[in-house]
Amino acid sequence: METSRFTTSRRGFLGLVGTSAAVAALAACSTGGGGGGASSSLKFWNMPWGTPAFNTLDSKITLGYKPESGLPGATYQAIQWANFNQTFSSALASKTGPAISSGGGTQAFQFAKQGFIAPADGLIDSWKSNGIYDDFLPGVLDTMKTDAGYVAVPYNLDMRVNWYNKELLEKAGATPPTDWQSYLDAAAALKKIDVYGFAANGNASGGNAFQMIVGLMINNGGGIFDEEHKPNLVTAANIEALEFVRENISKGYMDPAAISYTATNANSQWKAEKFGMGFDVPNLAANVGGASASQLVVGDPLTSASGKKGALYFPNNIMMYKNTPSQKGSEAFMTYYYQNMKALWTQNTGIGLPVLKSIAATPEFQSDPNAVKIVKMWQPVAKTWAAPGGTALFSNISYVDSTPAISDFGQNVLSGKSSKDALTTFQATLTSLIKD
Amino acid sequence: MTSTSIAESVKRARRGVGPAGAGRKPGPAPAGRARKRFTPRTWTLIAFAAPSLILLLLLNVYPLVYALIQALHDGTLLETGPFVGLKNFGDVLALPSFWSATSFTVVFTVVGVFGSWLVGLALSLLLRTHIPAGGLFKVLLLLPWIVPTVVSATSWNWLVATPQSPFPVIAEHLGFGNVLFLADPMLAQVVVCLFKVWISFPFMMMMMSSALASVDTNVYEAAKVDGATGWQSFRLITLPLIARTTFVSWILMTIFCVNDFPTIFLLTGGGPAHATTSLVLLAYLTVFQNFQTGPGVAIAFLMTFVLVVISVVLYRQIRKVNVE
Repeated sequence: METSRFTTSRRGFLGLVGTSAAVAALAACSTGGGGGGASSSLKFWNMPWGTPAFNTLDSKITLGYKPESGLPGATYQAIQWANFNQTFSSALASKTGPAISSGGGTQAFQFAKQGFIAPADGLIDSWKSNGIYDDFLPGVLDTMKTDAGYVAVPYNLDMRVNWYNKELLEKAGATPPTDWQSYLDAAAALKKIDVYGFAANGNASGGNAFQMIVGLMINNGGGIFDEEHKPNLVTAANIEALEFVRENISKGYMDPAAISYTATNANSQWKAEKFGMGFDVPNLAANVGGASASQLVVGDPLTSASGKKGALYFPNNIMMYKNTPSQKGSEAFMTYYYQNMKALWTQNTGIGLPVLKSIAATPEFQSDPNAVKIVKMWQPVAKTWAAPGGTALFSNISYVDSTPAISDFGQNVLSGKSSKDALTTFQATLTSLIKD
Repeated sequence: MTSTSIAESVKRARRGVGPAGAGRKPGPAPAGRARKRFTPRTWTLIAFAAPSLILLLLLNVYPLVYALIQALHDGTLLETGPFVGLKNFGDVLALPSFWSATSFTVVFTVVGVFGSWLVGLALSLLLRTHIPAGGLFKVLLLLPWIVPTVVSATSWNWLVATPQSPFPVIAEHLGFGNVLFLADPMLAQVVVCLFKVWISFPFMMMMMSSALASVDTNVYEAAKVDGATGWQSFRLITLPLIARTTFVSWILMTIFCVNDFPTIFLLTGGGPAHATTSLVLLAYLTVFQNFQTGPGVAIAFLMTFVLVVISVVLYRQIRKVNVE
């Protein structure tokens, strides 16, 4: 019988297996620059900020980047929200992370504290000469400025604003609220037609009632952090704001099941016209859909009991990392991206509100009166989690940005706990969590 | 072959004695054999097994050791942080939220294990009888197990979440008023436990069906001839004969329940007011939302320890059943 010329002895086979394993192991251990040192291209990681069309178009914009001679090109990766903290942390720890990314609202501040972020000061300075700097909405850039410089660049905005169902309000014989008292009056009128006037979704993992509550605290001149970035919750302004919430609850303006509602449950209540008024996300009408969506209108910023106006907003941002093949390349890509990202809004991909005036001025954006009203009337009075002490975000805000501590606070308020007790408990929890 | 000779054969087999003789007597191996223990063939076998063993070590031991390191340090997801010894364990054990999560985990596990076992056993007994379209029923009954949890959790949420959902509407028509299935802490616990039973019973049904299939029906006929009632047959014949599989299924379901994250997270997120926060959810929230890696991993370690203890106890029961 003829044997193959390529017969392998058992020892040879084992040797081959061993060598392959060693090579694979060494290759795995040596994977170094991701964003990255050894790579010739910039890795841009972006989150799914809108519909699936968002990432498709975003990828197209990214891959359309033609770098100047000597600068790296860019690759694109969509990162899912599920476990995104873990995704970024493990990638940075293993030096396989991106050169540029978006992510959680406070992510840049956390990573900056740990030395992973390349400051954006040079980039922002360079934008003073090409018009991008002046194109930002007022105050938005300041939210990214820390003592160590700009840790990121604002990208899109999320906010909690007052919405009402125009038709239901008319049916109830109420007028759109302009202050807290008129809000209570309108809610009372809605109750008479079996509609809840204080919409909320307090689910521990899928709700955001705590954002609405903090928004009302800010509305009344309060908030979570003082000038020293320390939690300072048990204040007269905050207690007064929570009393307003409690009044809405005790008078039956809030759906008693709302404490367990996810945002999806709340949307279905808006759609079923069981919710007639409340504080919700800027794209509520699109989320609700159907015939009710056309009836949903953004109200004016409310004047609080203390005579102030305000709201909570979240400047989502894009950050640059130190682990990049070229910092100059990262900045060149950022400039390209900000000059070309307009289509993400004009093609209606579902991304949040724009941070650039030029995008807000486009006919496509202007065709949505609710979005226009939010940018025009709510954004100027809105503040970040850092309020009332400051404007810019900082790393410890990660302890209140959709964490169990603040979710518990929201549930405590919605379940009727006294204002002072709810604030004291939240203060104690935050103090124990924040070590520096 | 008589029954005595069968028993003797089994004993001999357990002792490793072949039919031809008494085999090697206990005591030290001959010196020549010891020298030949590591023959080239042995080395070859070890070499073949080595890649798998190394892979297993990397996949299981490395994460475990790394997790232990994290549990003993005050770090973050990015940095190990300073060594704090057992402080994280002490801190966790002093947390009221840890004990409330432990309490709910115990309830969730007991209801999940025994609820699904009872339903699974009842259905497997039912499916042993001649019912029309039994195969179709079997497939339909497997659906809760097959359907992804995210889909079933969404469906259950739709069934109970809002006052306009089907179950609250039925409850109102029955005169129970506005029942807040997920907003009331006690009811939320009940709903989560029932949901767990619902998605788990098909697994138990399969386990029990396979155990019942191995039971010789002649035993029941003999018991019937001896005048045993149905209940006596079930209690004194069926249960003992399927005991081994039952214990195995209890061990598995205990592990499934204690480690179950999606069921609770998707349905209630651990609320309202922590009423449905289990240990695994608490560990997740502590690590990934409170960014307290050490305490979060310490919770996971404590869970693992308890699971090992429960598994050992139940495994001993299996051995006891085998001996009997």
